[in-house]
Amino acid sequence: MTVLTLEKLTKVFPRAGRVVDSIDLRIESGEFFTLLGPSGCGKSTILRMVAGFEEPTDGRILFDRRDVTTEPPNRRSIGFVFQNYALFPHLSVAENVVFGLRVKKVPRAEAEKRVAEALNDVQLAGLGPERVDRLSGGQQQRVALARALVIRPSLLLLDEPLSNLDAKLREDTRAMLRALRSSNSPTTVYVTHDQAEAMGMSDRVAVLNQGKIHQVATPEEIYEHPATRFVADFIGRNNVIDATVSAVSEKTVTVRFRDGIEVTMDPANRARGVLLTPGARVGVCVRAESMRLAAGNGTFSGIVTDVEYAGPLRTCRVQTSVGDLQVEVPSSAGRLVKGQSVGLSVIESALHLVEPAATT
Amino acid sequence: MNRLAKIGVLAALALILWGYIVGPLVGTFQRSITGATPLADYIRFFDFRSGVQGEAMLGSLMISVLSVITSGVIGVFLAVILQRWDFPLRRVCQVLVLVPIALPPLMGVAAFVKLYGLGGTVPQLVGNFFGTDPNSYAIEGLAGVLLVHTLTMYPYFYLTVSAALEQSDDSLEEAAYSLGATTFQTWNRVILPMLTPAIVSGALLTFMSSMASYTAPLLFNVDYVMTRQIMSADANAELAYSSVVSVMLAVVSVSFLILLRRWEGRSAYRSQSKGGGRRRQRVTNPATKALILAISLVSTIFLILPIAMIFVLAFSVDGSWRSAALPSEYTTRNIIKLFTDSANWAPIQNSIVMSAIAVCGAVLLGVSCAYVLGRMSFRGKTAFDIAIMLPWALPGTVVAFNLIKTFNVPSAFSFGQVLVGTYAIVPLAYFVRFSPLVFRSTAASLSQLDPTIEEAARSLGSSWSYAFRKITLPLLYPGIAAGALLAFVNGIGEFVATILLHVHPKYRPLSIAIFDEFYRGNFGTAAAWGVVQVVLVLLVVILTQRVQSQGTIMKL
Repeated sequence: MTVLTLEKLTKVFPRAGRVVDSIDLRIESGEFFTLLGPSGCGKSTILRMVAGFEEPTDGRILFDRRDVTTEPPNRRSIGFVFQNYALFPHLSVAENVVFGLRVKKVPRAEAEKRVAEALNDVQLAGLGPERVDRLSGGQQQRVALARALVIRPSLLLLDEPLSNLDAKLREDTRAMLRALRSSNSPTTVYVTHDQAEAMGMSDRVAVLNQGKIHQVATPEEIYEHPATRFVADFIGRNNVIDATVSAVSEKTVTVRFRDGIEVTMDPANRARGVLLTPGARVGVCVRAESMRLAAGNGTFSGIVTDVEYAGPLRTCRVQTSVGDLQVEVPSSAGRLVKGQSVGLSVIESALHLVEPAATT
Repeated sequence: MNRLAKIGVLAALALILWGYIVGPLVGTFQRSITGATPLADYIRFFDFRSGVQGEAMLGSLMISVLSVITSGVIGVFLAVILQRWDFPLRRVCQVLVLVPIALPPLMGVAAFVKLYGLGGTVPQLVGNFFGTDPNSYAIEGLAGVLLVHTLTMYPYFYLTVSAALEQSDDSLEEAAYSLGATTFQTWNRVILPMLTPAIVSGALLTFMSSMASYTAPLLFNVDYVMTRQIMSADANAELAYSSVVSVMLAVVSVSFLILLRRWEGRSAYRSQSKGGGRRRQRVTNPATKALILAISLVSTIFLILPIAMIFVLAFSVDGSWRSAALPSEYTTRNIIKLFTDSANWAPIQNSIVMSAIAVCGAVLLGVSCAYVLGRMSFRGKTAFDIAIMLPWALPGTVVAFNLIKTFNVPSAFSFGQVLVGTYAIVPLAYFVRFSPLVFRSTAASLSQLDPTIEEAARSLGSSWSYAFRKITLPLLYPGIAAGALLAFVNGIGEFVATILLHVHPKYRPLSIAIFDEFYRGNFGTAAAWGVVQVVLVLLVVILTQRVQSQGTIMKL
């Protein structure tokens, strides 16, 4: 069942302009849905319009089948978790969490029980009487989460909830969010610029750029079959190299790079809208991890210009005849040094085609 | 808030701002061009040949510039000494240096006159010591005005510069030294430029206050200032001319207000590094130590003297000060009578009640305006902002003049009543003058309050009004309370506007009662009321600190 529908949702700010540009989206019941994109892509504005904090310039927002476009936030039955927590500084932890229940006039005994449960769920049992400014950032964020969950919203909205936490705490909180997911947990819309968060937690992800949706799909689909050049570039470490289609058959397609090198790949691995006619320009996505060091001459050859050691693997930059390539090499493959000549072979089954770079 | 309620609130606020603040000022402008020809009185104002009337503008400007220089030198000097060096009694000095703030406006100036003026204590002591004419040591006229301005206005510089020094951090100076700069170069290139914004805002504040100053020129008999020309022209029934002076004074004040707002918005250097208090240089050299101690001792005595004078006078028998350095007879009767004689109690009650009424109105208007300007977007915001801050920039004389000329006839804003001469005109004037104080203080609190906190309340299902009552108001409370207390204290001391309002003797508030008795030579009775003002100011200062320490606890 569709819980949230956005129809041609648009927001124009006087200075920033068209921040959200005619977005259509359907979010299903119980889903963990993520809006992913670089900062300024409009993802937070979409969330704030869903919550009712911003009024859309155009378009409609439906909860189930109810049009809530002009409803104030307090009539929408949502839970909202803010990037900066937005706890009430003059209230204790328990008073913060109980706020929404008081508003709804939930009987005192039941309210207390639900607050205790909610604090327990976010691993803050016993901290109820504490002042919120005594808590660490991670604890404050969990109070905010408990406060939003305790009112049993039909839609939980999370606006970059982890971005103010340090790396370790972010992972712990991510694990906790996953643990909280259960059959009766609310439909969740999650906004982030961090692809690891998006990939690690979501059922589906929408990738946005400049107010427009580029792709809506599962994390796997987005990673393996990016729908646009932007998605290919934004997700993971991807080399998108311009090339020309040289030969097409039913099972294979051959593309030729600028320097004449050709690779053959599966024509199914392409974004919609990529034309497979000989002579057509395309962008070939070669993921950093889909290249291997070749013993002799590989598909590409070049000189290592930079090496970054990152534990299990090394990330290198290799200057080749088709441009600078990012390559991930398992550390077990041995040492690499700057200036070294290497050959790179491409795993052809992992190649993917997107639209060519816009000609300028 | 829905759109209809929003429009309603905006319209109501706009009506109040127009009716009591902007409208009366516009009225004064209209009256200023009712002379023989529209510009006749403006020409007279700028013509030196018309005597003091033509000199008033220049006189006010000169006094203001001189006040800025003298207050600036003292304020900056004290701030640097007290912030940068550590020496015995530094904390005591830090408190004492703010004593002038507790000086009630009229009684404070009166104390200066009795201390340094003709027949005052200091000239008499010095004269007797050297065996010469005491009056040759008396401070009169321009010098007296400057003395009062300097000692009451240096806190503008002291407070802004101290705050700037407190916020600047050591690493900047250390960076300068590490780059090979000498002490002089560091001060010249790093520290002074950092202090410039503070010094400029101190200077703008001092300039505005000096332009608005009325009491010091009055008590030291300087008549070539604009505030006094408004009064004397008004007394001579020269309506158009007094309006011209008011308009010119308003123009100067408002341009300085705009300058100040621009300046505040543009330039505040904030330290970017976190944590770590400022280190103070400990004074170890015994000679320097002695010198600093001596300086602080002398300046402390100097600062305490006016307050001490008020207390001494309060215990003196009326009429017992004739030709000696101090009154000859003392009694506690003046103080006791405050609470036993209804004639002595009445002004206290009047002041408290009038200020309280004004504060209630000021809180309503100030908080609404702060919220509307801080949380809503609508056209004409800038005009709204200027309108609410206008009475803060306008001299009290101009505010009172505008109100008198507006409400000496029945008006819709006074529900068809003539307000001049009634009780109501005084609280109205206080309300107009002190609303900006509540507004500023509330707006400052609101700008610290993250809007997402209110959004969080809305997302949890609370209506706008519930969120406002349970979340916004409690969080703004310290700012509102501080502004309200400040407005109250200003009401208790108010003299400049009140004197113009010609209230019925039955309704006279403290400052008018003090003025009357002072001129009858009843220094004891007058000073006893002055003591009440000082005590109320101190009470409010303590209360404000309580409220604000509560406020800092609540900040996340």
